[in-house]
Order: sequence, then structure tokens, then C-alpha cells
Amino acid sequence: MNHFTKKTSPSKDGTAAGPQETPWVAGLIFKMALIMMIIFSAFFARVHLNDKTEQLAREKTRIIEQIREKRTEIQTLNIQLANLRSWDNVNAKIRQYNLALRAVNPSQVRHMKRFEGEVAAPSSLYGGDTRIADSAANSAQNTAGGIQ
Amino acid sequence: MTLFRSMAIRMALVYILLVGGFGYVAYALYGVQITRHDELFEKAQHTYTTRIETHGTRGEIYDFGGSLLVGNMPTMDVVGDPANIYILNKKDVEKTETECRMIADFFERNCENVNADEIFRRLMRRSFTTTDKNGEKKEQDCHYAVIATGVEYEKAKELRNKVKELSFHGVSFTSSYRRKYPKNTMLANILGLTNVSYDTFVPVQGIERSLNEAMTATSGSMVYERARNGRSVTFANSRSEPTLDGYDIFLTIREPLQAIVEEELDLMCERVKPHAAWAILVDPTNGDVLAAAQRPTFNPNDRNTMTPDSSTNRLSELALEPGSIMKPFVISYALDRGFVTPGTMVDCEQGVWKYAGRLLHDTHNVGKVPVTEIIKQSSNIGTAKVSVMMGAKNLDTALRSFGFGQKTGIQLKPETSGIFRPLEKWDSLSVSRFCIGQGIAVSPLQLARAYCMIANGGYKVNLRIVDRIERGDDVRVMPVVKDEKSIFANPTTKKMITDMMIGVTEAGGTCTEAAIEGFHVAGKTGTAQKVINGAYSNRYYASFVGFVPAENPRFVLLVTCDDPTVGSRYGGSASGPTFKAIAERTLKYMHVQPQLSKEAWLAERSAAQKALHERKVREDALVQARREERDRQLKAEKAKESAKKTGTAVASRPATTGTKTSTIRR
Repeated sequence: MNHFTKKTSPSKDGTAAGPQETPWVAGLIFKMALIMMIIFSAFFARVHLNDKTEQLAREKTRIIEQIREKRTEIQTLNIQLANLRSWDNVNAKIRQYNLALRAVNPSQVRHMKRFEGEVAAPSSLYGGDTRIADSAANSAQNTAGGIQ
Repeated sequence: MTLFRSMAIRMALVYILLVGGFGYVAYALYGVQITRHDELFEKAQHTYTTRIETHGTRGEIYDFGGSLLVGNMPTMDVVGDPANIYILNKKDVEKTETECRMIADFFERNCENVNADEIFRRLMRRSFTTTDKNGEKKEQDCHYAVIATGVEYEKAKELRNKVKELSFHGVSFTSSYRRKYPKNTMLANILGLTNVSYDTFVPVQGIERSLNEAMTATSGSMVYERARNGRSVTFANSRSEPTLDGYDIFLTIREPLQAIVEEELDLMCERVKPHAAWAILVDPTNGDVLAAAQRPTFNPNDRNTMTPDSSTNRLSELALEPGSIMKPFVISYALDRGFVTPGTMVDCEQGVWKYAGRLLHDTHNVGKVPVTEIIKQSSNIGTAKVSVMMGAKNLDTALRSFGFGQKTGIQLKPETSGIFRPLEKWDSLSVSRFCIGQGIAVSPLQLARAYCMIANGGYKVNLRIVDRIERGDDVRVMPVVKDEKSIFANPTTKKMITDMMIGVTEAGGTCTEAAIEGFHVAGKTGTAQKVINGAYSNRYYASFVGFVPAENPRFVLLVTCDDPTVGSRYGGSASGPTFKAIAERTLKYMHVQPQLSKEAWLAERSAAQKALHERKVREDALVQARREERDRQLKAEKAKESAKKTGTAVASRPATTGTKTSTIRR
């Protein structure tokens, strides 16, 4: 028992002081505890948040590094692909396997004329260049004997 | 009392000490926070702040359809830290030497062009001496020694894992890249190449040089506060300047057409064994260069194949006397301005004509022929006479309007504008020589552009080899620069000159080898003597240039052979068959339907052959009649002379006169 909680003897005028003082003290303790709890919670939340941020930053660095590696691999593969698609290489393969390939005769080619209202082919088909699609369409329109 | 006094003294002392102490702390604090704030703050910042330079990648080069022509090949450089190796081996020289030797041997075994002794020497060089501004020499630790450069990425990853396993100290791998030309020799002279100097690409020639600025990446930087492990502190201040990759270049070149041109050029080189050869394929409507090749060439991936001869870009840098392929420009201008019509008869003097005190020869003896035949039979004298008829001023205007003496506007550097003297510097002979491609030097690109103008109806168009440049969503298309007004005042000029040029590939023309089944081919041959040491030599530029289909040209193609050594030296025979081969394959690639069926085409050709035969018969008969007439006159004159002198009959002496005459004629 301390000064605030100890039971005091009834006063001379007969009123009891103890029971009225106790809730005030308890309230104070409760409030302080609450404030402390809020402060500590905020503190730990901040620490936790920083830790989380750091974890995410590490994860981000790791993913960026992975993306970089993948990009590097893609670049290497692109070079290899271009190399394989070079005419020197294709020609060598044609000779190696004795493939009976020949260029198509223009008379074998028929251009399809686009019907009115038909949706144009997406430019992505032509490497993103709309002019090729347009020129193909124009060429089709200009070609005599094309399938109408 | 005494006790209280001593306590008071002690308290006073403590008080003074405390006040003094606090005063000193306050003073020091003032010094640190106010007086030396900037200096110390900078020091602290320097300690925990890191600045990293970030580099983008150089732009790549693609053909029109997006096929990679020049790319960036990821590689790794291996570097050592000699000072660190020494420290990590606890400054034990023997241990350090052993480790350096192991590292050197390891990389010699696993990398190409690496010498173990050289690496060992570099790794053992722990410090180096520098001299500061005041001339004082300082010993500095060496933290950078190159072990291997340009190691292929996959190989470098393997090596890195092995280095980890072997626990080598102070060896690190840094990412880099090098320029790779996946198509090897294809388009090498146009694409050019780069060298590397201190991690920076130095363009040497070609597109790599002329568009270096667009392709160069912009370096960025990142400044951040770092934690003990070196990573950035996420909640601290950081700033970064973005890195920008270079623009990717998309050329107007079509790879399949380029492959066709290169392949046929190789075949031509095998056939006629020239000193050099080149071909250029251009779209006459917009000046797009569809293919451009030359021999000899080089492989940019293997610098050992480079020689001054093979690395020159002849198409834009070479200025040569073009010879007869200049004739259509003069004739077309003369037709356009009404100096002549296709039927105007010009006397070609049977192959020899004297003008301004100098003789001019034709390869074939041509008599009086219409202008059409001048182009068909490539008569120097006929063209010179038309040119003289036009006058020097008009000839100058004609050739300049076709773009001679000017650059073609192509995005290639350097580009020659040729040699074309201003009018005031012409001599009396110029008017009869410039028109047949002598005394004037032009580049193959200028010739191609000028033929584009004939093919497109006289509209001057700049050549384009770069179609667009791209960086992500930022796409910049290079504009087509084409005059709105044709240089031909007469709308029929194009048809007239085209018809004449079609004759070149028909029976009686100078290049029947260039005729293509089902198509009318408009072309012109050129056999120009090479100027060596200021004099015409016995070496020739044999060229053929033309466009197909003649009426609605899809491309202009120029093929030139520099000094063919096997077979004929003429443009028609040396370059004509290659023109045909390239044009045929190109038409197939472009899916251009033949203008005529095989039967119609053959009928047309046999009709032309028949007409030629008939004309020859007529001409022979005419020549024979003239010869007989001249003989008769000669005989009559001789008879008269003999009668005067001797009074005897002349009937017994005609044989001698006839023999002499035929000798002279032969």
C-alpha cells in the first residue's frame, strides 16, 4: 500500500476519502500504460516497417538482378538467332542437306484483296510498322488478276 | 563551521568544473555544429554515401523488317585487385605469389588470348607511383588489373562459379558488352564498325559513325546512403539520374534482297575476276536503298580480314568517270527541251569525229542514225553532237538538275559530291566529253539517284538508308525528301527516254544479256577507261544500270565491275548478266507479275530481231550501193586521167584501184 492506495481512517466529520481516490489513480496508471503502449507500438511498428522495407528492397534488388540476367540471356539468344538466320548459314544448310528449294514464281502468288469493312491486319504482324501493311494492301489492290 | 566551509569549497570546485566542462562541451559543439559544420558534414556524407555511374547500351542496327544486323553481345571482363590479394593473404609475399600464379594459370587454361605470365606480372604489381600537381611522387595501392576482357557471358558465369569454388581472392567479374555483327560480311562496308577505348565505343566508319550520336547511350548516376553491407538504406535520402539507351537504327535495307545482291556479286567476281565490284538497289519512288554491296569486303567480327581496299565504302566515297551511263541524262534533257526528237537524224561519222582539235571515237562504226539508236548503240559521237547542239550552258543545267556535283542526302559519312567543274571553268572540249561521262567524276550513289529520277518521271529524290530510329515509344521516321516539281517540262520525256533505254536490252542493243523474260528492261551500259596517274589506262569500269519493269519501275539497279580481268571488259558482258540475275530474283521476291506472257515476250523479241536483221540488210545494201557508186566514180576519174595522159583504154586497170580502196576501208 502506498500513499495513494492505503486506506485512510474516516475523517472526523464521518466522510470516507479512500474509495473516491482509488479510480483516479487507476485511471492515471491506465492512461500512462496506454500512452506507453501506443508509443511502443508505434516504435515497434516503425522498426517492423523498416525491416519489411529492407526485406522488400533486398527482394527488389534480387529480382532486378534476375531480370538483368534474363535480359542478358535474351540478348545473347537474339544474337545467336540472327546468326542462325543469316543467309550464309541458311545457304550452307540448304547445301548440306541438299534441299531442293527454289524461289517462288510470281505467277504462283495471288494477293488477297481486302474486303470492304474488313479489319486491317494488326501492325504487330509487320514489326509494328503500319506502312508495310498499307503497302501490302495497296499492292493487293493494284495487282491485276488477284483473287477478288 | 570548518566542515561546512570545506564542503562549500569542494562544492564550488565541482561547480566550476561542471560549468567549465559544460562550457567546453558547448564550445566544441559550436565548433562541430556551426564553425566546421559544412566540412564535417561533407566528410560524413562521403563516408556513408555511394555514387554509382550507370551506363545504358548502345543502339542496335536492324534492317527494315527488324532483322538484327548489329547487336550488343553481353560479355564479362575479369579484373583482379592486386592490393587486396596481398592484404587477404595477410601480407605474406610467398602466399600472394602462389595465389597469383594459380589465378594466372587458371585463366590461361580457360580463356582465349590470355598469357599467364602477363597476368601474373599484373597481379603482382601491388602499387604504382603517381606524381601530383606539386611534382611530389606518391605510392598508391593498385586495385585494378585486367585479367581477361570480352569473355562470353555463359563462359564467364561458369568461370565465376569455379572462382568461387577455388576461393580465389580479389577476382571480380564485371558486365560489359561488345558489338557483334551476326551477318558477318553482309553490308559490312555500310554498317561500319567501332573500336573500344576505355569502355567507350569509338565509331570508325559507316552507319556506326554517321549515326553515332543517336546510338550513343546517355550515362546516368545513382547517389544513395549505404548500410554496412553496402546496400542502400531505403528510408534514407537517395537520388538518381536516369540512364538512356541509344536509339535503335532501322535501315531501309531488306535483308533478303541484300543477300541476293551479295550472292550474285560473289558469282560475278568468280566469273570476271575484277579488282572490285559493287551493286546498289534503290526504290526510285522514295529513294530507299534496298540493298548495297561491294567486293572486296571484310568481316567486322574478324579485324584480320580488314585491308584499306576492303574497308573503303566505295558506294559513297569513290568518285569515278562513269562513261556511257551518263548519256541518257543528256539525251533526255535534249528531248525534254525540244533540241531533238527520237527521230532526229544524227550523223555519227562512221566512228571517228574531230571536235575542238581532238578525235572522238565510237566502239562500233555508226553512220547516220536517229537519236533512239544513239542510246541503243551507245554512240559517243552521236551524244557529243547532241550535246554540242544543246550548248555548254544547257549541258551544265542538265547534269546539275540530275544531281551531279551534289551529295545525295544519304545518311552516310563521308560522302563525296564528285568532281564537276563549274561552267566558267569548262574548256572547249568539255561540252563533247562530259556528256559521255569523261572529265566528270561521280559516285555510284549519285548515279543511282540520277537513274531514280529518270525512272520516277524526273522527280529529284534524296537517297535514304535510315528509315527510322526508335527508343521504346520514341519513334522518329526519317522523312522522304522529294521535289514536288519534275525536272522534265514535257510529260512524255520519261516515256521517250525509257523506250530508248529498253532498246539497249533488245536485239541490236549493247546489252541483250540483261533482258528478263516477261519484262521490259530499261538500261544503259557503260565502259569507262580508268584514269591512273592522270592518264587513261587500259583498265575499265564496266557498268550496267537500269530499272524494271521499265514502264512502272519497282527498283533501279546499278552493277559495276572495276577492271574485269577475265572475259569481256564491256559493261554489257561483264555486269549485264549479274544485273539480270539480281533483277530476276528481286522481281520474284517482290512478287512482281510479268508484264508479258512468255509467248508474247518471245514474239516481241523475235520481231525486234527481225527488224534489226531487215535494217542490217538495208544498211548493208546501202553501204554496198555507196561503195559501188564510189568505185564507179573512182574508175571513171582514173579512166579520164589515163585517157588524158596516154590516150589508151582504161579497161585493163580497175583491179588495182579496187584493192587499194578496200584496204583503206578495212
